[in-house]
Amino acid sequence: MKLRTWKSFFKQGFKNAFGNKTMSVASIVAIAAALCVLGVVMLIVLNLNYLMDDLEAKSEVTVFLDKDVSYSDIKAIESKMEKWDGVREVEFVSKSSALAKWREELDDKAYLLDGYDGDKNPLPHSFIIGIEKPEYTEDIASKAKLLPQVMKVNYSKEVAESIGKVVHSVRLVGAAVVIILAIIAAIIIHNTVRLTVYSRRREINIMKYIGATDWYIRWPFIIEGFTIGITGSLIAIAIITPLYQYVLNKLAGQHLAEGFFVNIFRLLPLGDVIYNILFVFILVGVSVGVIGSGMSIRKHLKV
Amino acid sequence: MIEFRDVEKVYSNGVKALSNASFTIQNGEFVFFVGESGAGKSTIIKLLLKEIEPTSGDIIVGGQSLSDMKRSEIPYYRRGLGVVFQDFRLLSDRNIYDNVAFAMEIVEAPRKEIRRKVPMLLGMVGLSSKAKCYPNELSGGEQQRVALARALVNNPSILIADEPSGNLDPATAEEIMEIIEMANRRGTTVIMATHAKDIVDSMEKRVITLKNGVIVRDEEKGGYFNEA
Repeated sequence: MKLRTWKSFFKQGFKNAFGNKTMSVASIVAIAAALCVLGVVMLIVLNLNYLMDDLEAKSEVTVFLDKDVSYSDIKAIESKMEKWDGVREVEFVSKSSALAKWREELDDKAYLLDGYDGDKNPLPHSFIIGIEKPEYTEDIASKAKLLPQVMKVNYSKEVAESIGKVVHSVRLVGAAVVIILAIIAAIIIHNTVRLTVYSRRREINIMKYIGATDWYIRWPFIIEGFTIGITGSLIAIAIITPLYQYVLNKLAGQHLAEGFFVNIFRLLPLGDVIYNILFVFILVGVSVGVIGSGMSIRKHLKV
Repeated sequence: MIEFRDVEKVYSNGVKALSNASFTIQNGEFVFFVGESGAGKSTIIKLLLKEIEPTSGDIIVGGQSLSDMKRSEIPYYRRGLGVVFQDFRLLSDRNIYDNVAFAMEIVEAPRKEIRRKVPMLLGMVGLSSKAKCYPNELSGGEQQRVALARALVNNPSILIADEPSGNLDPATAEEIMEIIEMANRRGTTVIMATHAKDIVDSMEKRVITLKNGVIVRDEEKGGYFNEA
């Protein structure tokens, strides 16, 4: 079709979208509201994923060995563990380096450990196994327990597992919520455009008699739906972005106050999520708008 | 050429609107379809516009069978037809000029062509001075003349008129008929459904008379028969 024809489609589409204010506003608000909820769900999922990745990088199992373990046993255990699935790295921590590390942690109270050096060191030799994914943790821990010369196995079972479960269910619930909201928004747009279509059914009828193709009639309505969809998306972005920034600032303040949490509870910076959100909002807003209006015109084209 | 071959139309509510209708209309002919309300005139027009499908039989227009026509081809077929209705069917949110130009915009005629032809057609129907008026500012006769300008602006080979003078007084109806006859003299086939006895009798054209969905008369230079 000619550029001039497209121009007239856009003119007509915008006129419809902004002409019938009450209905259009209702649709735009519905889309913006649905997208805001979608945005919150997205931000939660993105941040949980981020947290998971962080934990994955940190997952480890500590294996303490018997006191009388020999050097050759240590080597044998190490080479065995290195072959297990999900093991990223195996680090040997000798009893003396464990003591040194403890001293370091005690800082100005390190004198408490004076006199425990050498043969008097009560600490065992140990391995720290780096794990690729939290799922492997339990398996590796139980295998390690069965090894000879192993005294004790420590790992952060609860945290890894529960976060894995939370992420999984948040994703599921999030997807369901998003799909339901998208359908509701599509129905609302469908109704708005149906009203415009209804008020213009005479005109559509006349156009059909003169010999207008279905697409010639359809485009202005699709553009109307598109306009409503994209306006809703932009409003949602304008709401979600400062909201997230606020939460970030709030948490940053808390981090400063309780320095301890800094590394555990760090949210993704706005710059890392804004493009994801922008992309998803516009995609959802536009497709909901276009599908909603496309559906409402179908019936009236059968002349 | 337009040909109806044993066309029958039964509506979904069981009403038999047309039975065994067969006739041929040559290019450039002027044909009246007359009969009381419900005789089947509008059914023939709707069938010709491919707004409805015949229950049986075949309709051939310009060598093409309408029943073989794909849905996507209908708009292009209709562009070869000019249509006027009893209720004018103008777009109320556009002025007269734009109403006529609209028919050309739909077929994506060049802008230059639109600027040339629309004033020409408005001149032909005698409404050059009202190009900027809106349909509701015009009388019924004027509105129907706009509708005729719109129907003729794309040079259709067939002009279909469904009771074009139904809402007009006799003098105004005569003006409308003059325009339709002018189009016919230029070679446009005219098919007109009407129950305006005066017009049919004075024009001395071919008349096909319908009664209860059956063609009861088909006469060259016919007249309007109340009791067919």
